[in-house]
Amino acid sequence: MSEKMRESLSALLDNEANEMELQRVLKQVEGDEELRLTWARYNMARDALSGHQLSSLNVDISARVRDAIAAQGATDAVGLRQRLLRPVASLAVAASVAATVVIGGQQLAQIGSDPYGQGAQTVAASASPVGLVNSLGATTVQASYGNQSVPVLQPATHTAYRELARQRMQKYMQEHAEHAALNSPQGLIPFARVAEIRE
Amino acid sequence: MLLANMRYGRLVLLSAALALPVGASASGCPGADSAALNWLDKMSRSLYQVSYHGVVTLQRGDDMQVMQVSHAVDGENSSARLTQLTGQGAQVERRDHPLHCVHPGHKLLQLGKDLHAGNCGIANYYRFSVAEGERIAGRKAVRILIQPRDMYRYGYVMELDRETGLLLKTQTVGRGDKVLEKFQFASLSYAPEQSSATQVNVVHQAQHPHPGAANSPVLVATRWEVSWLPHGFMSTDSAAGGTARRTYTDGLAVFSVFLEELGREIRPGEGVVRSGGTTSYTRGMDLSGQPVLITVIGEVPINTARMVADSVAWAQ
Repeated sequence: MSEKMRESLSALLDNEANEMELQRVLKQVEGDEELRLTWARYNMARDALSGHQLSSLNVDISARVRDAIAAQGATDAVGLRQRLLRPVASLAVAASVAATVVIGGQQLAQIGSDPYGQGAQTVAASASPVGLVNSLGATTVQASYGNQSVPVLQPATHTAYRELARQRMQKYMQEHAEHAALNSPQGLIPFARVAEIRE
Repeated sequence: MLLANMRYGRLVLLSAALALPVGASASGCPGADSAALNWLDKMSRSLYQVSYHGVVTLQRGDDMQVMQVSHAVDGENSSARLTQLTGQGAQVERRDHPLHCVHPGHKLLQLGKDLHAGNCGIANYYRFSVAEGERIAGRKAVRILIQPRDMYRYGYVMELDRETGLLLKTQTVGRGDKVLEKFQFASLSYAPEQSSATQVNVVHQAQHPHPGAANSPVLVATRWEVSWLPHGFMSTDSAAGGTARRTYTDGLAVFSVFLEELGREIRPGEGVVRSGGTTSYTRGMDLSGQPVLITVIGEVPINTARMVADSVAWAQ
């Protein structure tokens, strides 16, 4: 395995891979048993060191990720080259696909286990909405960080909901600030985010 | 390239460590910078234990607010006050907060012995590192870089007073290293506060979740639950029960979930408003035959708010 490939793999593991690196790994992983084993070993090493339970579940979702990317490429009719010319969008795609790799893997492995050992504190660390949302591919996450909402709404509903969200922010911001002020490091500063403080 | 090589070097170590018995390597927190975590601990305590007053600015996009803050410790209690010098001119006070009363968000920042015992806490969810700080409000600062380990929370760059650990500046960093919000001291004094001539329009007494608190929470008829949270978030409320609000924190970020039961059907949909580091996400939907409006407000990315709203269900 080349040095470059190791670096790409390690970047992917740290969730820091760019799209080029992601493509490089996905292209190579199909026919490269050594690469697949190395990926699995890196993951196990990391899990073991970070105190997580070693997962005996050996799931290779690289094929699914590759398919998702291919499918997205086909529907978008936008090639890698063009996407690279739009750095923001392509970053979002790369990041969300990388997240799919990592999250998908972690969550599959989490079924029936509690890797953080804090099940009592965190509510239901199950696979529920995350896996579903992210395994669909890049679109959901990319859209979430953009300006448009995912479910395509009628224009009237869209505007109405934006207005509703604005009103609710006004209505609830102070109550949120009461609790943020007690549970975040900035003291009373969360109150400064409230548009109009009520007595 | 250098970064990649360092990273590779670390992986070689990781792989080598796998050859050791797992029990030996599972304790301790890899990648957890204990110096940074000690600063975090100190910061969390200094917020309540140090007396200070000063002027603070809060920048969100083009908007900048200026306010006076003061904090005084008197025996076993502390009092805090925030007075807006711009905008509405409101004042928020918290009187007689017992020093021994440590809320969940601060407990999460005070790792102390837990870290040595192998309970990595917040280090599971963020990467921490210490850097040389700048000078803020005339004080020498130490900089703590805080990067999220997943996409469910923001990053932070915090500057703490080298002597007292007091938080002097916070930048909330979103996707693509974009600074969403910046809070910082413009002037700071650890001396007692002089009386000021500020004209105040509204005075609000900050609430405290104590038994017998004046404000009774809004109740909803049916018990509900948030069935998914990003790892590391815990409830700030001791007993949630049938209240219309739930608040969660991971020690650095806080978000609240509000549920309204609607009297008639609503066309399903969602809307988002953002202001600085705050996201307000509202979703109308049908929850097992009952139309509801769910709002998630907090200092988290939209995706997190959406997924939390998605997971709201009636309690079994």
